[in-house]
Amino acid sequence: MAGISFFKSMTKVCSILTVMLVFFVPLASHAQVDKVTTYKDANGWKLQVNGEDYYIKGVVWGYTPRGQNYTYNLFGQSDDQIRKILDYEFSLMAKMGVNTIRSFTMIPPEWVTYIYREHGIMSVINPLMGRYGYSVDGKWIPFTDYSDPRTREVLKRDMQEFVARYKDTPGVLMFAFGNESNYGLSWSSFEIENLPEGEQNIAKARFLYSLWNEVTEAGKAIDSNHPFTIVNGDIQYIDLIAELIPNLDLLGTNAYRGKSFTGLWRDVEEKLDLPVVFFEFGSDAFNARDFAEDQLSQALVLKDQWQEMYNKAAGNGEEGNSIGAFIFEWRDEWWKYLQIENLDIQDNNASWSNQAYLFDWAEGKNNMNEEWFGITALGPANSDGVSTARPRMAYDVMTEVFSMDPYAASKGDINRTFANMDVGRYELMGDVRLLKAANEESKRKLQFTGGRLQGEMVLRGNESGIDEDGEDSLEFSDGEMVFLDFGFQPTDQVSGQMTLNVLGNVAQKRPLEFTYGDRGLPLAIQTEQLTILEGGDNEFIERQVDFKDRERIEIYDFDATYEGENIDVNAFYHTRRFHWGYEGDQFGLIREATDLEGMDIWNAKAPQGVEIAGKGKWKDFTVLFGPEVYWGANPKVVFKYDFKLAKFDWTFIHSEDLARRSDGTNPTDVVGRQSRQTTLTAEREFSNGWKLEFGGIWSANEKVDEVFDRVDRAGNVYLDQIEEEDALGFRAKLTFPWYETYLQAHHAGLVADGGHVHRTWGITDPSRLPYSGMGNKREYEAGMILRFGNLMLYPRVMYRDNLVHANPFIEANIGGGVLNPGTDPRNTDEDPFAVLGNREARSAELYLTYDPTGATQFYDWDNDWREDAKFAFNIGGTYTEYPTRTDSYLFFFEPARINAPFGQGLPAEEVWGISSRMVFNPNRDSKYIVRLVRGFDQSTGNPDGGTRDFYQFDWKAEWKRKHTFAGYYMKDAWGPYDFYRQFNITFPEQVKLDYSVLLGNSGQLGSAEDENRATRVGIRALYRSLDEANETFEVEGDYTFMTVLYFTYQF
Amino acid sequence: MINLNRHETKPAVFKHLFMALLGAATLFAAGCSTEERDENDGTIINAILLPTDVVLNLHCADVGIHPETCVLDDPENPFATTTILEFDVNDPDATNKFDLFNSIPAGPTGAKARFYFWATALARRGSGENQFYTALALHELFDANSNVLSKDELVRAQALKAYQSVLDNFFGSVTVFTCCPGASPVGEPVAFSVPLNELTADNLYRTDATGFLRLIEGDPLLMQEQLLEWGYSYQPANPPNYDDGVVSVNGG
Repeated sequence: MAGISFFKSMTKVCSILTVMLVFFVPLASHAQVDKVTTYKDANGWKLQVNGEDYYIKGVVWGYTPRGQNYTYNLFGQSDDQIRKILDYEFSLMAKMGVNTIRSFTMIPPEWVTYIYREHGIMSVINPLMGRYGYSVDGKWIPFTDYSDPRTREVLKRDMQEFVARYKDTPGVLMFAFGNESNYGLSWSSFEIENLPEGEQNIAKARFLYSLWNEVTEAGKAIDSNHPFTIVNGDIQYIDLIAELIPNLDLLGTNAYRGKSFTGLWRDVEEKLDLPVVFFEFGSDAFNARDFAEDQLSQALVLKDQWQEMYNKAAGNGEEGNSIGAFIFEWRDEWWKYLQIENLDIQDNNASWSNQAYLFDWAEGKNNMNEEWFGITALGPANSDGVSTARPRMAYDVMTEVFSMDPYAASKGDINRTFANMDVGRYELMGDVRLLKAANEESKRKLQFTGGRLQGEMVLRGNESGIDEDGEDSLEFSDGEMVFLDFGFQPTDQVSGQMTLNVLGNVAQKRPLEFTYGDRGLPLAIQTEQLTILEGGDNEFIERQVDFKDRERIEIYDFDATYEGENIDVNAFYHTRRFHWGYEGDQFGLIREATDLEGMDIWNAKAPQGVEIAGKGKWKDFTVLFGPEVYWGANPKVVFKYDFKLAKFDWTFIHSEDLARRSDGTNPTDVVGRQSRQTTLTAEREFSNGWKLEFGGIWSANEKVDEVFDRVDRAGNVYLDQIEEEDALGFRAKLTFPWYETYLQAHHAGLVADGGHVHRTWGITDPSRLPYSGMGNKREYEAGMILRFGNLMLYPRVMYRDNLVHANPFIEANIGGGVLNPGTDPRNTDEDPFAVLGNREARSAELYLTYDPTGATQFYDWDNDWREDAKFAFNIGGTYTEYPTRTDSYLFFFEPARINAPFGQGLPAEEVWGISSRMVFNPNRDSKYIVRLVRGFDQSTGNPDGGTRDFYQFDWKAEWKRKHTFAGYYMKDAWGPYDFYRQFNITFPEQVKLDYSVLLGNSGQLGSAEDENRATRVGIRALYRSLDEANETFEVEGDYTFMTVLYFTYQF
Repeated sequence: MINLNRHETKPAVFKHLFMALLGAATLFAAGCSTEERDENDGTIINAILLPTDVVLNLHCADVGIHPETCVLDDPENPFATTTILEFDVNDPDATNKFDLFNSIPAGPTGAKARFYFWATALARRGSGENQFYTALALHELFDANSNVLSKDELVRAQALKAYQSVLDNFFGSVTVFTCCPGASPVGEPVAFSVPLNELTADNLYRTDATGFLRLIEGDPLLMQEQLLEWGYSYQPANPPNYDDGVVSVNGG
């Protein structure tokens, strides 16, 4: 009985304890939140944390390894890796005496606390509040309109959510909103644009500052433990701050005034009477005049700035409003210049001018080098995969500066310490580290930067083999290859990289897969040999010559850049290059060359060439030349000149083929005729949201006077001639603000061919409108984007007529000595023009898109990796009527190395397609992407076999950022490479299953390139069933299959 | 602030109207600048009279010799725009170039048309067969435009160049004849191939092979010498079938 009573008692006690734990642990946790306040007495302003004076000794912190850019997501890595990186970074910072960081990355609360608890460093929570665009109801607005009521509502709501999320997080010092947002008042609105010019920005600024006040007030209502501020650009609009943000706790500002902040202290004291925190200030460590790293100048600027700040702190008899600052910045960022290019190179380009930095300022020249602001230099990764930081001289100077307490030390002591600082020693320390790093990296000559090893084992077979020989018919082969990456920087102005590829064995995967490295497959050539027979006669006898071990080593890619005073020169060989569509190339003369994977399967080495881009007074000139500046280009030279006239941005481009390319690389790689084009285009975005683009093209005038035949409706055959006006084309596009509606008209003479048509969203645009850059057309297109919250509806229509139709086949005949020559479909090799993708069309489409996170736009090229919505999708379809036939398409006939026509065109047809792409992110570690396609469409070349009715389903699933399962199922669809559609080769069923597991750092699943190169092991299976639609596939039986066991080791 | 701004705002409607007009004018200019081709453009070529004369003007030095294609630009060439269908091994019963060729009037009045026909076929597709028949047509033209007193030396030289091109460029090529239904068990014509090098040498060696004048007058041995000069040896065919001649490459 007593035992039972004791047991009951203990149960009660335990229950009470449990209840207490449930209730008091959160309170205990809450109790850890620091109380941060600003405080003013007769000596001046101070910041206090839990009642203790706190002078901010801060840095602006960000972590972006070499080769990465703003898309790099540190907090998407594994927890283990994040911990390693943070420990490395913040240990070094703590050693320097840093007590606070500001970051453009929103550090998750748990990591804010980790940094605080493990390293004693606090964080400012600083949402940028639309400074670089914002997603409002699912639509990405590149220039935030602070006057728009809905935008204000969304921003205010989101900022409140940030405050609520972080308010109880230990380690938070304060909240700040924006980033010099007063420099980004770029939106247009009718009311403001109609104000006198001088008042326009003030009017816009009032909207910004009033919103800042609303956000600050709302934040304070949620969190009373932390101060709230803004990040202003210098003290611009200080009167508006005083007028419109009465609740500000302190003034946050970015100030680049050189060695001294001059009268800023007094101005703030007089107009705001608030303490001042610099959220950015400092100096770059590159001397644009000497064109070399300049640690000394950076350190001396910082030393003077901190001395002034300490003097301006409370208790020193001056304004007393300095409470600390954040040095810009902790590390160099190698992506800042160009942002998506040269990510492995630290660019020396100075992108803006600031006369306050006299050590390298020169009249008319830029001196601020964005990639060199770090007080530590960005080094290579260490054995933990953490990018190393090489402290510059400024790090040592700041270590001594931060060792002082500006409140404890007297003004005299402070100034004596600064005066007696052993700058020479710190300079020597910085130089020694620089030399050591240079030695270690051997960067100034040639450096082996890494590479990867790939291996695979392949088993393939087909039905007829299995039936006849069972398992013995299965063919086994293996393949190995290694990529070796090298970087070089022989001088400060010249840098580059190259990759060598070395083949071992080459696995035989054709015809199911064509992959890079197939160049090493044995090549059999049928030839004839003159043979002397018995009796002295001779005869040609057929024989086969096998070439093995071919091309074992080759340069995979190469890129070198010279950065000069007036020009940048970039030599490129099989590296990604973008089109010039955003640089005035409205006719798409320079095509995008980013599909290196697509080129690799044919071992095509495009793009190859040299680009010379002017700088300074030559900045409007660009010259591009080379043997193949984009895939399929003839050897050519292109000249571009940009200029302004009548408030329009004009672009003149001339492209001249210097020769005809001698060879194609695959059936789709038709060698075009040597030609030339000249375009003059203009565009202007008006303040009321209208945009007008127009331009003209003069193309292929070498074809003038060439003859062609055509047939009229009565069946008469005409012999006609290309005239001057047939080489001319014009296009215009008008976009207006209501639902982003656009109207476009394009007229082009018979031979006025442009290049590639750029779609609204580039390569990821789901549109199946029959775009064509070719001439011989009158084309009209219209579309509008309707947005309903996170939903977007995008209808588009297109109407196109031809000036001359495709030729039918009319058999020639002779009667009584009179010839009716008949006619046949033209082709672009033998005729001056042909009706192909530019055929008559009436097309309409509608796409619905749902994406609640507009910042990761659904149609961004890397959305597969970046989409972070729990669920986003699109669905839509296109219907196109082709009322007329085409002429004959060409293909490149490899055995004879010539273009060859299919001989007949595609018939008139009505085609359609529907598709949907869905992205699921159920949690941080999992992602599922699914795409469904259903279509009824024609081939892109061979009409035999007719129009195809097909289904397609592909997917990619990732979980734990380690495992990937991808694949497709296709029914009655063309094979996976372009030539299948070109030759109209379909398969009843195609299946691909690919599972792989990452063996290295989980961050390697962050982009397409990273994913391809990541250290991983996997297995892939492919299956195709066969029928008469693929007889040319040259595989016997009803099916064929292959399994590939593969691994990639990145080093 | 909104009130303040509106107070100073001028009506924006004019700006929109201006933009609409400017845009519309630009679109109109871009979309409506030229018209479709009609009956006023070009020349109807439904009925082309084939040449009946026998005087050939060489459009370029190597017209009718592979790989020269200048015949396609020859304004006298009636076949310049004609589609000449090659024999399709996958569809042997389909219409092909021989159907059109056979419609050209026989005899000297069709000789020049035959040259243009085959030279056009050769320019479009370099094959031994097209080269051989081009040579034969030149041979015929030489014969038609020559008599005892005068010979068309220009065409004679062109015909020799064309025959030499068969040997130089298409030595192993054949042409296919069909004949002799009686020899077939099913009573249908039988196809057999003949090496073009043999036909070429035979045409040059024997007048009976073509019925035309010899391109090199005099003893047939002179023709053998000419072949030797070109780098070939010829062992003439024997009667009655003349199908056993042998051409071999010297020093091969």
